[in-house]
Amino acid sequence: MTGISVTEFQELSYQQRIEALRATKMRITKEKQDIIGSMNHDDWGLILPPADRREIVQTISGSGMPITDALIAGFNVASNHPSGGFFGPKAVGENYRALLEMHPIYIDPISSLAGGYMANFMSYRKPSWNPDLDFSFLHEDQKKYGLGSGIGASQHFCHDLEIGFKLGWGGLLRKIHAYREWHQTNETDAKLLGQKMDFYAGLEAIVLGMQNWIMRTADQAQAMCQAERNPQLRENLEALADINHRLVTEPPSTFREACQWMNWYQMAARMFNGNGALGRMDVLLQPYYDRDMALGILDDDEAIFHSACFLVRNTDYIQLGGPNASGADTTTHLSYLILEAAHGLKIPANIGICVGDNSDPELLRRGVEIMFEDKCGTPKFLGIDRTTEGFMKNGYPVEIARLRAYSGCHWSAIPGREYTLNDCVKINFGKVFEVAFHEMMGDTQIAPSAAALYRLYESHLRLAVAAIAKGLDYHMENFHQVFPELFLDLLCYGPIEKGLDASHGGVEFYNLCVDGSALATVADSFAALEQRIDKEHRLTWQQIAGHMASNWAGPEGERARLMMKGIPRYGSGASPADSWAEKLSAVFTLLVKEKPTPAGFNMIPGLFSWANTIPMGKELGATPNGRRAGEPISHGANPDPGYRKDGAPTAMAVAIARVQSGYGNTAPMQMELDPGITKDEGGVEHVADLIRAHFNLGGTQINLNIMDAEQVLEAHKDPSKYPDLVVRVTGFSAYFASLSPDFRQLVVDRILTE
Amino acid sequence: MEGVVFSIQRFSIHDGPGIRTTVFLKGCSLRCFWCHNPEGMRPKPDIQFFPDRCIGCDECIKACQHGAAIKVDGVRVYDREKCVVCGECVDTCYAGARVLTGKYMSVDDVVSEVLQDRAFYETSNGGVTLSGGEPVLQPDFTYELLSRCKAEGLHTAIETCGNVRWEDEARMMPVTDLIMMDIKHMDSAKHRWATGAPNERILAAARKFAAMEQPIIFRIPVIPTVNDTVEEVAAIAAFVRELIEVRNQAGGDGEHTISLELLPFHRLAGDKYRSLDMDYRARDLITPTREHMQALTEAARSFAVETRSR
Repeated sequence: MTGISVTEFQELSYQQRIEALRATKMRITKEKQDIIGSMNHDDWGLILPPADRREIVQTISGSGMPITDALIAGFNVASNHPSGGFFGPKAVGENYRALLEMHPIYIDPISSLAGGYMANFMSYRKPSWNPDLDFSFLHEDQKKYGLGSGIGASQHFCHDLEIGFKLGWGGLLRKIHAYREWHQTNETDAKLLGQKMDFYAGLEAIVLGMQNWIMRTADQAQAMCQAERNPQLRENLEALADINHRLVTEPPSTFREACQWMNWYQMAARMFNGNGALGRMDVLLQPYYDRDMALGILDDDEAIFHSACFLVRNTDYIQLGGPNASGADTTTHLSYLILEAAHGLKIPANIGICVGDNSDPELLRRGVEIMFEDKCGTPKFLGIDRTTEGFMKNGYPVEIARLRAYSGCHWSAIPGREYTLNDCVKINFGKVFEVAFHEMMGDTQIAPSAAALYRLYESHLRLAVAAIAKGLDYHMENFHQVFPELFLDLLCYGPIEKGLDASHGGVEFYNLCVDGSALATVADSFAALEQRIDKEHRLTWQQIAGHMASNWAGPEGERARLMMKGIPRYGSGASPADSWAEKLSAVFTLLVKEKPTPAGFNMIPGLFSWANTIPMGKELGATPNGRRAGEPISHGANPDPGYRKDGAPTAMAVAIARVQSGYGNTAPMQMELDPGITKDEGGVEHVADLIRAHFNLGGTQINLNIMDAEQVLEAHKDPSKYPDLVVRVTGFSAYFASLSPDFRQLVVDRILTE
Repeated sequence: MEGVVFSIQRFSIHDGPGIRTTVFLKGCSLRCFWCHNPEGMRPKPDIQFFPDRCIGCDECIKACQHGAAIKVDGVRVYDREKCVVCGECVDTCYAGARVLTGKYMSVDDVVSEVLQDRAFYETSNGGVTLSGGEPVLQPDFTYELLSRCKAEGLHTAIETCGNVRWEDEARMMPVTDLIMMDIKHMDSAKHRWATGAPNERILAAARKFAAMEQPIIFRIPVIPTVNDTVEEVAAIAAFVRELIEVRNQAGGDGEHTISLELLPFHRLAGDKYRSLDMDYRARDLITPTREHMQALTEAARSFAVETRSR
């Protein structure tokens, strides 16, 4: 199963083993590209099922994107509904258990950790929503305003691995049984009791499924061990058999065991519903590192190796450093070792480094250095002080706010205690703008102007936010009976204790995400209308409406398009468009924070489009910023490419810092740098200074690619020539060659300044 | 107070320490044939014409009152002789085929743009650099701009060719923290051939700068056919060594405040020359190899001059 052949007696160094892991990953990736085709999402660590056990299908990802997927052939779900679907905790848990119990075993004898996952449980959810639960009353507004409602969205909050590290699968099972008994005795409402028993049945099934999968893997490692002739690999397999037999029930006690436990949990959580959250990997593993180092049974090279064995299977979202509850920086030597593990692998990874007043500046420097060396878009950078201060504005004390840990594309959550729906809820400002524009032009009582249009925009945005709030309430009311968060529930504080799913009152805090998208598209549109029509009178409102309706057809249309596009745009610096962007962000923040949802849930605004710039653009007609109908909307809080002739990242960094919502959720800066300077010529310092200044100005997160622009352009022509080129597409990183042409184009457009 | 500025480059990391904003002032007293900023040569605003971008709307022809934007045999052309650079055509050209390069800007306007990146100067110990063209050819504006930047607490640098009145250079010194100066050749005749001017005034300026306190980075644009031999670079390095001694004798620390930078020729400016109807005589030159740049760097270092190369 390995990517390299190891002779009978060859002994490999950790470095060689990391290279072998990488080679295997490359081979697996190539196979995925050939069989699945484009993968416009986080790379994941998924391995295809063996050729004789795979089935290729079209489905929807955990983040709501249509994808091609490989299923494990022969696995059929048991439906509990006439629609053919399976709903509710017991059915979900039992089906997942069945999948785990027939999941093929994967052991790479080179790796110090066993296991590999091969399926996406979400692909078996057909239909994915229980048709008895009808929310068609929300459809009109959702469609009208291009809303990503979040209804039915799963994961996108963060569990706390520490619970698992303490209890192990055996302890989790005992905990489930103990609370089930307690509720059996004490719950007096028969209906609620029924629901709770269903919930515990689901949780129990999941743990049993996990124990089965781990046990079978341990047995297979034992069997492989008998046949293995290379003494180093035989010893490794023996250790894998031993460790995993123990981990079926026991909690981990060594660093390697903790990595192995984490590997099982993270893989199974990813397979369950796409979960990629992890949180503070350095803090979680620190006690095991300290213990093993004190006992003299671990050294740094080995710690890097175990971390790499984990990272090669899991592209999870990880925070390094950052404050603890009392504000002290948690960066340790282990933080660096984890970073070095990613550096050794040079594969897609999603590691965020905290940058703040109390942070270790050396970790930032090393992170940037690695970006220069690897050009893999890893790590990314987290403006931890700004997000902490912002989160406090929701009414949390600083000790709580500091606990929010980076765990998804652009987001953080308090591990085990907070339910968020982060990155799942979007408002396409472009659609709101379009509705307002048509209303103004269709109403003879209104004299068209940018100011009049803005008034309508604001009133429609208020309606859009209200529709989002209603949708969130609907989700919170119903999701638990459709596809509860069983896997993450296991490692949260409350769900097992209360018998309630995290999406339904199981955890402590509820702060639901609402992201705005298409900021630059709309800011530039307002500025262009104001300048070209209201001020310069170069066009009439009727003319621009005509050009937009015809999608800028004909020579006059193209000329008008260039005219509208030619204004000083958002990001150019202190321009009217920059002011529009600030105003649009401010009103969005105001409307989201005006009041909680009708059921009382706090909402937190942010600006992020994720990879939805393409689908959101497809449903939007031509816009006055010179964008043609169907073209992608602008990326997150970023200005559109070409925002300045010099393409100055500082100008972008100033602009994005000024549109932050400031309540703890982010408006990341997506930045592509070809600094024309090497790391030894001061490049590292310049980039680190740029990062720190953006956060000083109020920025919250940076997704950075340090790239060789020419190489990326070459790779766009023939991606197969650069199979190991990794780019940070947005919050996630991926192999460039795994992206579809339109996604590659998005990345390429960002590096061209004109 | 207004000056003619043809570009403001933010996140400039090659023109002095830290993250900087470089302000390019229009007009130069040299005519280096390889210049990568030919739009900076003439003192007044110019119109650049990029026929490839033209969408054929003919609005420029309607807008031009001077017969400079015309069609000849159906081909749109630009008659620079007749053009008075009023900018009317540029204003109608949304395709960007006609671009006004150089505009009159007030000191206030420039300072307000420069200050937008203050946060980055603070984290990086960067600042502002005035370049060109030759910034000292607009002495009043440059002086005022530098003064304002100093008053804002910014680190200031100028990039000068030295081929200007010394009184003007000297006037900048109290408000300048770093001097960057090109030296293209030690032989005056060859200097004249390559740049249109002899080098005596330039070398004299360099000697006077050396007697002052500001750090100086001397720069050699390494241009094949002009100064890319070891001997030619060594001659310049020897001169810089002399200047280090001058500074040491004046009580300064020459070794640590005077350095040399070698910049390889790049053939990137062809489009700009075409757009300005200027002859690009460097079009056939080849970028020096990394190895050759390294050899030149070593040669310069043999004079005990701190030398960097890109």
